[in-house]
Amino acid sequence: MDLIFDYISVRMFWRILLFFHFVLAVVLLVAVTLQSVAVLMPVRQAAGNFIQRVRAAPPAWYVPLIVILYVPTFLLGAWVYVKYRTYVRIPMEQLGHWWTVGSFEFKEHIVAFGMGLLPAYWYLWRQPLSEEHANLRKWVTIFLAISVWYAFLVGHTANDFRGVGA
Amino acid sequence: MTQTLDIHERSSELGPSPAIGAPTSTTTTTGRFGIFAITFGIAFAVLYTVFEQLNWPLFTYHPAVGKVDFWMQRPRSGEGPPMYWYGWLALSFAGAAVLGWIATAVPREWLYRVTIFCCALAALWPTAYAGAIFLADRVSFDAEFLKSVWLSAIPALVAAAAVAYLVSARSTQRLWIWLVLIAPIGGLAVLGYSLKSYFSR
Repeated sequence: MDLIFDYISVRMFWRILLFFHFVLAVVLLVAVTLQSVAVLMPVRQAAGNFIQRVRAAPPAWYVPLIVILYVPTFLLGAWVYVKYRTYVRIPMEQLGHWWTVGSFEFKEHIVAFGMGLLPAYWYLWRQPLSEEHANLRKWVTIFLAISVWYAFLVGHTANDFRGVGA
Repeated sequence: MTQTLDIHERSSELGPSPAIGAPTSTTTTTGRFGIFAITFGIAFAVLYTVFEQLNWPLFTYHPAVGKVDFWMQRPRSGEGPPMYWYGWLALSFAGAAVLGWIATAVPREWLYRVTIFCCALAALWPTAYAGAIFLADRVSFDAEFLKSVWLSAIPALVAAAAVAYLVSARSTQRLWIWLVLIAPIGGLAVLGYSLKSYFSR
């Protein structure tokens, strides 16, 4: 770490980490959203506009991408969380931003549950897809999408308080 | 792969059959992965919720001084705020992985019923405890003994055992797999409720 800090400041290092976390989160957000659209509103033929083509994409396509993105996004977030705890949360509490603190606490839990669900999510989407578990597969996918959306919005709020560009 | 699991599940209901009970190595591997994945998902949600509520982290990290302590350590003067989240995660992941691995080795019918029993107990024990405290605070006589966490375990254990026993064989299979979604939602409800102080200030 000291080697890195010879070239960039500590502040810049954490900002770069936070930026990578943000970029991964955006790509993950796009993937879970497209998969959720394809799961909730499927169409058989890819005809017409962009939305219809998205709906026609096989939802199973997104699964490896989502798993591959979720894990590093989670790990990078867990790393950046150290800075949040010492540099962001304390002034947040001092200024009485309790809603943001509480929402961020909930974010920790929901993303952890998302991680715990990943093996089951992977399993439920393995080929050949089971007709019997179609409903469960759909709701597990929605749960993951909600967890990613929630984490993104709350993370963005915390970043606005004290982060990149704040 | 899912269909492979279904074949296993059905075979356990029908009893052992030489033809079904001797799957190929690939079939066994995929079936086991399904059992592991579902059990891991259920166990992780339950364990994480319990460890967070009881504050049982595997370790405590003090980011201001870069120090790690085993188990739970209260904040110490001059060492900044302690972080427990990593410790809850480590303990939950390890515990869920061990339970998932054990699940692949036990008979399916046992697995379903034990999982349902554990989940029912995880839901009923705190409910019984909360009910006992509510009751103890409202009755006219001295009912402080009701506020024992171990006393409330008795009705919770009996009720959980009854639930696990009374659910039909076919329903256990369906309920078990749905618990992978029910357990995290239930866990989030508990954890969310415990954060209410942040939203009511």
